[in-house]
Amino acid sequence: MRIGVFKFASCDGCQIAFFDMSDKLLDLGFQIDYFIEAQSTNRFNEFDLSFVEGSISTPEQENLIKKIREKSKKLITIGACADSGGIQSIRNFMDFKEVLSSVYPNPDYIKTLEKSKPVSDYVNVDLEIRGCPINPHQLYEVVVSLYLGKTPYLPEYPLCLECKRKGNPCVLVLGKPCLGSVIKAGCGALCPSFNAGCYGCYGPVEKPNLDSLKEIFRERGLGDLYEKILTSFNGYNRVYRERYEKG
Amino acid sequence: MKKVDILTRVEGEGKIWIDLKDGKVKDVILNIYEAPRFIEGLLKGKSYEVIPHITARICGICPVAYQMSGVQAVEDAFGISVSPEVEKLRKLFYYGEWIQSHGIHVFFLHLPDFYGKSSIFEIAKEDRDLLINGLKIKNIGGKIIEIIGGRVSHPVSAAAGGFTKYPEEKELKELIPDIQEAVDLSIYFLKKFSKFRFPDGNIEGLQFVSLFKENEYPILNGDIISDKGLKLSKDEFDSIFLEFQAPYSTAKKCRIKGKEKYVVGPISRFNNNYEKLSQTALKVSKEIGLKPFEKNSFKTILIRLIEIIHSLEKSVEIIKSYKKPDEKINIRTKRSAGTGISEAPRGILWHKYSFDEDGKILEANIVPPTSQNQDAMEDTVKNYLNRISVGDINKMVFEAEKIIRNFDPCISCATHFLKIDRDLKKCRIF
Repeated sequence: MRIGVFKFASCDGCQIAFFDMSDKLLDLGFQIDYFIEAQSTNRFNEFDLSFVEGSISTPEQENLIKKIREKSKKLITIGACADSGGIQSIRNFMDFKEVLSSVYPNPDYIKTLEKSKPVSDYVNVDLEIRGCPINPHQLYEVVVSLYLGKTPYLPEYPLCLECKRKGNPCVLVLGKPCLGSVIKAGCGALCPSFNAGCYGCYGPVEKPNLDSLKEIFRERGLGDLYEKILTSFNGYNRVYRERYEKG
Repeated sequence: MKKVDILTRVEGEGKIWIDLKDGKVKDVILNIYEAPRFIEGLLKGKSYEVIPHITARICGICPVAYQMSGVQAVEDAFGISVSPEVEKLRKLFYYGEWIQSHGIHVFFLHLPDFYGKSSIFEIAKEDRDLLINGLKIKNIGGKIIEIIGGRVSHPVSAAAGGFTKYPEEKELKELIPDIQEAVDLSIYFLKKFSKFRFPDGNIEGLQFVSLFKENEYPILNGDIISDKGLKLSKDEFDSIFLEFQAPYSTAKKCRIKGKEKYVVGPISRFNNNYEKLSQTALKVSKEIGLKPFEKNSFKTILIRLIEIIHSLEKSVEIIKSYKKPDEKINIRTKRSAGTGISEAPRGILWHKYSFDEDGKILEANIVPPTSQNQDAMEDTVKNYLNRISVGDINKMVFEAEKIIRNFDPCISCATHFLKIDRDLKKCRIF
């Protein structure tokens, strides 16, 4: 199988998971054709599996992701940037000119799209691996499943189930703002296991009950739920956006 | 004549431009086209509590560095001090990151250059053990981070005032045998790699800048020093290290008093703090004949391995004397400003914030190592290419790329601050 690993606007933290499993990939006979961070000779031909890290945030990236899609049998997004637009998508909700000029003294030279968007806004995505960063075990599950031609198993249920399984006391009940009930499982309920509220790295479940959690946040004086989601890593996820648009 | 290439085996996206005139290299430009993510702009108006979480996302390879400079800046602003136990745990957390990040660079990014291969995957086809043992070294660093912070990239427990949860003594002690195995493996690789042929990739005419602590090889905090006698506190950073814009470009660089070029990172730490390396690290450096003043950027592969050995040994020391802290995080916000500096794997990383009375961020300024090393990378490439005088432009680019890799640039980091772009002809970069 021919693999490509691609990077757009991101921190490089998700593709590093490929380093950890490189030994296993070699065992399975994968051919890594394109992986700029790992090798100096790269080939852009046809790919069986393309893994994409990062959000689309410049005009060049918009063109490149379309080219990758054309050449790939399966395209898998890895991590919150590629799945939802990433932390940099907070700018989608702010005055872009102000953000730009607060970081760059000569904003005229900065060629970037006003919004940072998920890959799925531009091309068809076969599978999303969630997380900021992704869980390397989930990546391995996906790679091996696709190699064997079976459907990868990725949890669709909310984080709360992981907390229950671990026997964590509910941090929301203990007074911490926790998004766990609307967020996809996959990290092993890390933040609640470290006495903190989930801040939503894995993005929303398919049908999150946002209104109910918003009410709980309000009742308990934990701040505005939407503000908490907007300033998080998956704020521009399709599921949230549909909800905001409803008002 | 110019040549553009895509830099491979570095973190993030960049190019090198080589400007030739009469067969001589006139100018070298490191051109960064990584898409900007505006992290400083996004922080404004948010609570101080998000700093370790949001700034970690600047870099998936050195998130602990961002968290540590960040939380120390918050503590500086609100007048909080942490206990020596917390300080020790922070160092352990940070040593984990040096091991993990240097492990990635030494084995995955740098090593293929010395083997004349495209990647470690290519090397592994002939020497599988090298990959397996390299991973063992890297992964023990990751394991340390994971126990303290839950996961290797973007750990969750770091906060101003301490950690949201402290690891049990037992969890840490169980790591000791693997750490010791990693020490042995690292010494083996250090000796093996010290026999490589190292071309003359000397860093010339620059000051070597690092942190300084009286009795330790600096990592978590300290004053700033250079080999030329510079000495200042973290609060003075932005009055001495001035960002400026060259008239021919919009790329912001950082120089001492706006003039003098400098280099940060393992090579500067090593030269300025050599005697304070851990016992074994010092002993093996002497054995292979590596000592200050080392200027050859190619030899940073050895220096990173020495810092790995140092970090492993220091980690065992901390774990053996570890007592689980019991302090609770208790923060009182006030209208104020603070700075924090630490030695990220790639060099000094400085944060400055100002807050309103509720702890909301008014301003954020972050200066990462890679933007500080732009001059050093460009000058070293230029000197090296003129020294080896290869006529062929493709060969030049190939060699230039190696020099850039010697500095382990993290372009993902630099992009959020580098006021990127150097307008060569009509090349407009993001």
